[in-house]
Amino acid sequence: MRRILFVDDEPMVLDGLRRTLRTMGKEWQMEYATSGREALEILAARVFDVLVTDMRMPGMDGCQLLNHVRELYPHTVRIILSGQSDKEELLKSIEPVHLYLSKPCDAEILKATLARTFAVRHLLENDSLAEVISKIQSLPSLPSLYYEIIDEIRSADGSLARVGDIISKDLGMSAKILQLVNSSFFGLATHISSPAKAVSLLGLETIKALVLGIKIFSGFSSSDLPCYSIATLWDHSLATACLAREIARHLNLTQDEIEDSFLAGLLHDIGKLILLDRLPEACGKIAEVASSTECPVSQAEKKVLGTTHGRIGAYLLGIWGFSESVVNAVAFHHCPGECPNDALSALTAVYLANQCQGKNDPGNINKTVNFDLDYLSKSGIDRIEELLLTCSDPCRLGENGGCEDSFRR
Amino acid sequence: MNRVEELENRVKVLESKLHKEEKVRRVLMDRVENSVASTGNSFGLFENNVLLQKNVEQRTRELKSLLMEKEEVNRKLLHEIEERGKAEIEVSSAHRKIEALVSSIPLIMIEVSNEGIIKRWNAVAEKVFQIESSEVLGMEIYKCPIRWDKDKINELLRRCCSEGIAMTLKAVKFARTNTDGVLDLTISPIMESSLNFSGLIILGADTTEHVLLERQLAQAQKLESIGQLAAGIAHEINTPAQFVGDNARFLDESFGDLERILLLHDRLLDSLKAGSPTDDLVKSIEEMENEIDLDFIRKDIPNAIKQSIEGIGRINKIVRSMKEFSHPGTDEKTGVDINRAIENTINVARNEWKYVAEVATDLDTGMPLVPCLPGEINQVILNMLINAAHAIAEKFGKASGSKGVITIATRLNGEFAEISIKDNGAGIPEEIRSRIFDPFFTTKEVGRGTGQGLAISHSVIVGKHGGAITFESEVGQGAIFVLKLPLRDGMESS
Ligand SMILES: Nc1ncnc2c1ncn2[C@@H]1O[C@H](COP(=O)(O)OP(=O)(O)OP(=O)(O)O)[C@@H](O)[C@H]1O
Ligand SMILES: [Fe+2]
Ligand SMILES: [Fe+2]
Ligand SMILES: [Mg+2]
Repeated sequence: MRRILFVDDEPMVLDGLRRTLRTMGKEWQMEYATSGREALEILAARVFDVLVTDMRMPGMDGCQLLNHVRELYPHTVRIILSGQSDKEELLKSIEPVHLYLSKPCDAEILKATLARTFAVRHLLENDSLAEVISKIQSLPSLPSLYYEIIDEIRSADGSLARVGDIISKDLGMSAKILQLVNSSFFGLATHISSPAKAVSLLGLETIKALVLGIKIFSGFSSSDLPCYSIATLWDHSLATACLAREIARHLNLTQDEIEDSFLAGLLHDIGKLILLDRLPEACGKIAEVASSTECPVSQAEKKVLGTTHGRIGAYLLGIWGFSESVVNAVAFHHCPGECPNDALSALTAVYLANQCQGKNDPGNINKTVNFDLDYLSKSGIDRIEELLLTCSDPCRLGENGGCEDSFRR
Repeated sequence: MNRVEELENRVKVLESKLHKEEKVRRVLMDRVENSVASTGNSFGLFENNVLLQKNVEQRTRELKSLLMEKEEVNRKLLHEIEERGKAEIEVSSAHRKIEALVSSIPLIMIEVSNEGIIKRWNAVAEKVFQIESSEVLGMEIYKCPIRWDKDKINELLRRCCSEGIAMTLKAVKFARTNTDGVLDLTISPIMESSLNFSGLIILGADTTEHVLLERQLAQAQKLESIGQLAAGIAHEINTPAQFVGDNARFLDESFGDLERILLLHDRLLDSLKAGSPTDDLVKSIEEMENEIDLDFIRKDIPNAIKQSIEGIGRINKIVRSMKEFSHPGTDEKTGVDINRAIENTINVARNEWKYVAEVATDLDTGMPLVPCLPGEINQVILNMLINAAHAIAEKFGKASGSKGVITIATRLNGEFAEISIKDNGAGIPEEIRSRIFDPFFTTKEVGRGTGQGLAISHSVIVGKHGGAITFESEVGQGAIFVLKLPLRDGMESS
């Protein structure tokens, strides 16, 4: 049984939700509160998986409530359901919120969103890890790029194109910007996989407010330099993204799936960034185990953490509202066989691309390429050599960094 | 020699003109140097003039000695005459240059002699004041027909004369045929030597456009506040839209369930009519009732309908109020139902006050239509309402959860319609009471207030309607603002 708490100062909104969600009563246990104060009382008595709150309320508003909840019950997924249309007000709530839905929100979308959130929870059994990830607001950026973007935005003649360029070179920034564009935060709710496009959609003013005002980006402090270069990780991610998109095209996936393949390829190793940033000791241990036992990184991760960087990254993307297809591709990019869904999908493309790009995977000790043939045949791929040969061009391009999206380094 | 004497005289006249010109110039250059960057070479010109003048003096002296040698130098003299002629031309062309320079200065320039007589009235002055120089040259400055605050300006002129110091005065208002204008003035004494006062020079910059621009800016800010209101209105619509949508979906689903039960009931009826056994049907009806939770549905459908109607009602109400509130403001006064204007304003601004206060109304139903500018009166009531909400938010704080009360009342009071807006907010501290109507005076943080609300309200109520705004306040207890609008519109002219 999953538990959801709804908070709204308008009782009729709660009544409406109660009515439309009544059919879910067998799987979900739902409770309702009409103020932030009441919500905190209810939360103190029981554990909730998800909190859905209105933004503007008398007394404690949604943003304040979410801030409390982030501190007190970090594992609870924080969703806003608000009729607010004022951009400034929206920006204020970005920090503590995982997912944003705007009123009026169709009941089907609300149900689907909640269902997806619960599915994501299955990815990570480890509660304390889930807690660590739920607290993440942004991922660290390369210090040089971080300062570059601050300078660009502050300068009088800052250009959207250059801002897009800089963000496109950094994993953490790209992930955050793509989250914002692909959520209904700004009423865009689109299917965008290119960070540069996302930046141009948001516009310079919003980016400025996000970066300087809310500080959605942060730089790695130079003292805790990561075990392996984040820059290399980015090269690997970009190459994987380009190749995954190419493979997806050759597999005749739908346009959305092709976009998702790129997006998931770009973010597939984001779990590594999370580990570097939040659990640096574990990181070191994993590298140690991997090299001493000569086992793949994923196995070393399982030994040390009980889970993999794939699942960790997918969990974050999941509570940040990325689509199920992206979340699955990221979660199972090393072990597609574990995915509950074995149809041809973005996961297939990302899996193949990542295997091919394994050579430049900075954490990969085992440089030999082998494929989970069982999974591939289930998804209907029997001639991978052929497939990979036809897709070899972007492979090389990716290594050179000369990808179609003109990401430069 | 007649010709030589005549020539000498003319040269002298020119010299004295040049000399005066130079004095005027000195004052001018001090004042205008910055504002007239385009005449950057004017100092060069001035130096040339002085040189020229020195040449003329030198020549004149030489000529005198030459004259003593009479006929002998006749030939030379003739040549000299030629030269002097040339010098004369040069001097007068320099004079023209100075005139051109002076008239190119884009400022009002009025020169006044030490007897107070207007000596110069430039083209800019003609244009700005709409008074020809011929009308005023030779007139005493104290009697000049500019329609400005005579007492104050004359006082300044006198002080400038007697104390010999320059004065500046900003935002001097003056009237003219169609529009009024605003000036920045500088009055400077012209001192021939440190003691010898020879007149005044008045320079003025017409800032009317500038002030107009500032006003437009204020207007834009007002529009911005309406934009902010729009976000609140959207919120007020989105909330009921959410639950009306949910309820409609619930009604849709439950009607499907009821339909299934009704089908069974139809069959039951048929069986009963046909006299066939009904036990199975009754059983499946009971099962179905459980499955669809019939009790819940039957109890909740009426609520869902009731709340949906209420939600739609709320949306209608705010949309209607919005339409009336933002009704394209006519420039003419029309009879306005003040009570209705108040209700509309309360509705459109609901999102601005509902989180901090309750709004109560006590409206005099016998209120006649009041002649006023509907758009502007709405704006004033909105300002008052939002000020009250802000004062309450300030007192009660954000997280306290308890709300304040705003009471808006109307009342017929003799020849006036009276509107009072009362709040139990933070109140207005003694020290700032004299300043709250000043433009741009605000105690609020950036983004929350610009300090224009009361200034605009004052100009609307007092300036445009001949009414009055008063207020009383006790710090910590709240404030009450009272607006008085005359029922008879007899105020246009004053
Ligand atoms: N009802 C009130 N209670 C307490 N103080 C008030 C009240 N109304 C006005 N004031 C004070 O008077 C000041 C000026 O008010 P005014 O409406 O002109 O500007 P503002 O509200 O600050 O900004 P704006 O109306 O332009 O958004 C306010 O900043 C506030 O300090
Ligand atoms: Fe990986
Ligand atoms: Fe990888
Ligand atoms: Mg105000």
